[in-house]
Amino acid sequence: MNSNRSKPHGLLAEFHTAADIFEAAMRCRDAGFTQWDVYTPFPIHGMDEAMGLRKSPVGWFTFCGGFTGFFTGMTMIWYMNKFDYPLVVGGKPLFTPLYAFPVSYEMTILLSAFGTLFGMFFLNQLPKFYNPLFKNERFKKSTDDRFFLCIEATDPKFGMDVTRTFLTEKCHAAVVELVED
Amino acid sequence: MNAFSRQTKSWMALGGVVAVAAIALFGTLPTLGADAGSAAHSAQEVVHGAVGHGGADHGHAAVSVFSLKQIAHSYLTAYMFCLSLCVGSLFLTLVHHLFDAGWSASIRRVTETVASLLFPWMLILALPILGFAWTGNLHAWFKINPADDHSLDVKKVLFNPMAFTVLVPVLITVLGLLARQIRAWSIAQDKDGAAHWTSKSRKLSAGGIFIFAFGVTLLCFLLMKSLQHQFFSTMYGVYFFAGSVWTTLITLYLLTMWLAQPGRPLEKVYFKRQQQDLAVLFFAFTVFYAYIHFSQYFLIWNAALPEETFWYVRREVGSWKWVGMLILFGHFFVPFLLLLNQDIKRNMSVMIPVGAWAWLMQYVDMTYNVMPVLHPEGLHLTLWDPIFWMGMSVLLGRLFWSEYQKNPPYPLKDPRLQEAIVHHEVPAPGASAAH
Repeated sequence: MNSNRSKPHGLLAEFHTAADIFEAAMRCRDAGFTQWDVYTPFPIHGMDEAMGLRKSPVGWFTFCGGFTGFFTGMTMIWYMNKFDYPLVVGGKPLFTPLYAFPVSYEMTILLSAFGTLFGMFFLNQLPKFYNPLFKNERFKKSTDDRFFLCIEATDPKFGMDVTRTFLTEKCHAAVVELVED
Repeated sequence: MNAFSRQTKSWMALGGVVAVAAIALFGTLPTLGADAGSAAHSAQEVVHGAVGHGGADHGHAAVSVFSLKQIAHSYLTAYMFCLSLCVGSLFLTLVHHLFDAGWSASIRRVTETVASLLFPWMLILALPILGFAWTGNLHAWFKINPADDHSLDVKKVLFNPMAFTVLVPVLITVLGLLARQIRAWSIAQDKDGAAHWTSKSRKLSAGGIFIFAFGVTLLCFLLMKSLQHQFFSTMYGVYFFAGSVWTTLITLYLLTMWLAQPGRPLEKVYFKRQQQDLAVLFFAFTVFYAYIHFSQYFLIWNAALPEETFWYVRREVGSWKWVGMLILFGHFFVPFLLLLNQDIKRNMSVMIPVGAWAWLMQYVDMTYNVMPVLHPEGLHLTLWDPIFWMGMSVLLGRLFWSEYQKNPPYPLKDPRLQEAIVHHEVPAPGASAAH
């Protein structure tokens, strides 16, 4: 426990305006940091570009989910109505994509939604029950009127003194150190 | 002076279209009596054919390219295509006001202007349709006695020559005046910037959207659906509407992209956001159209009532079956799968072909609705189809352009314009070092 206390988690910079953190995010992006994030009370337009984030790969999970759902629906109805237990209903063919379509379509939507949700959890590494940020009292203001930027110690470019100087001098922020606990 | 010459050219082009219709009309007058007789005969065949086998009516077996019927049906197909662009634009204008939208403020003048073509231009272009109908070359029921046809008798309140002659022009005029009123307020706002013009437009749109829904439904019932008056479908109005907005959105996308090029009027008010949002809406309407058209087909297929199924049974005869498949894949699957990707929506080398394809698909869709009445044996294209389609589109395009240039290219003092043009162009990596 004592050894943990000294292990740094990262540096937390506090800003008063959206414009300030936007500027700082661009500086962090250009400085080449990779393990960092911003925490703001509301979404800031253009922040993705300012942080240099790539397009989210969640769409691929959605697509795979939808694709699976559609063909599951089709196969399921074919198997049940034509193969396993052939049954004529209303004089219609034993199988046609027509009447299988509404169900397949619903399955597409359902599994797309699952793909999106669980793909997002997977990529975000959620659920996560603890984050050293929660220990910081000031950080609670990130849901109110303050803007925070945290560069983590695991970043290859991270250096306690260099990064602190970078945040205070270049980004004009109030900086505190966070520790793992 | 420049605008004047443009106006003159437009009138000349309109004169050309009317002249072609008039020459065709008078050139075939001697055959009118015979045509009308066969129309009544074949309409009865449809009723019997529907219950019997798929409707093989011999009265239409050989339609001459120069027959008035061919010209009338080609003209109607082209008209419905152009009507779909006008009502689609009217819808987008109304919806902009209803949602008090910000992003679309900078492109609203374009939809306002296209919608305003309804009056008087689409009204004038509708007059030949009335002529074709009265001479028995379009809607078979003009020449059928309701007493002889039960399916007409029960619908004669709407499907009778007088109702048609009054309603079609009145509906187009009402929709056109609605469009013109909103545009007039928008232009008035360009001068004084008063916010009350916006709230006036919003109030009018609230009622206008109902007028729009009833008007467009009635129009496509009268003009297109009643070509086979025996048919029942409550989806038909929405079906036409969905295809209309779909085509309008991609047209608007390409048109505004073009208008936003350097040196053109929308350069400073059109950004990635408008482009992306229009493409997303186009994508949404790709799905919505498929949903509506599939629902219409599926309900009819499932219920299997002869008075409904005959409509699709006819469209599975000969090459019409493949036209149906083309609509299924070309109107839905291809654009749907292509536009799933977010980045493709801003890739012009994809979106320009998609736009041309969407125009073709909408025209094919209108053909699928109109032409099986005339050519039950299968798709039968004539020279009239591209002539009227392109002629009417080019004519209306020119009229749009001359109208558009008369006023500011976007609502200059719209209170929401600032929301549309506040953009977030983030400097690329490395740029912040210059600060």
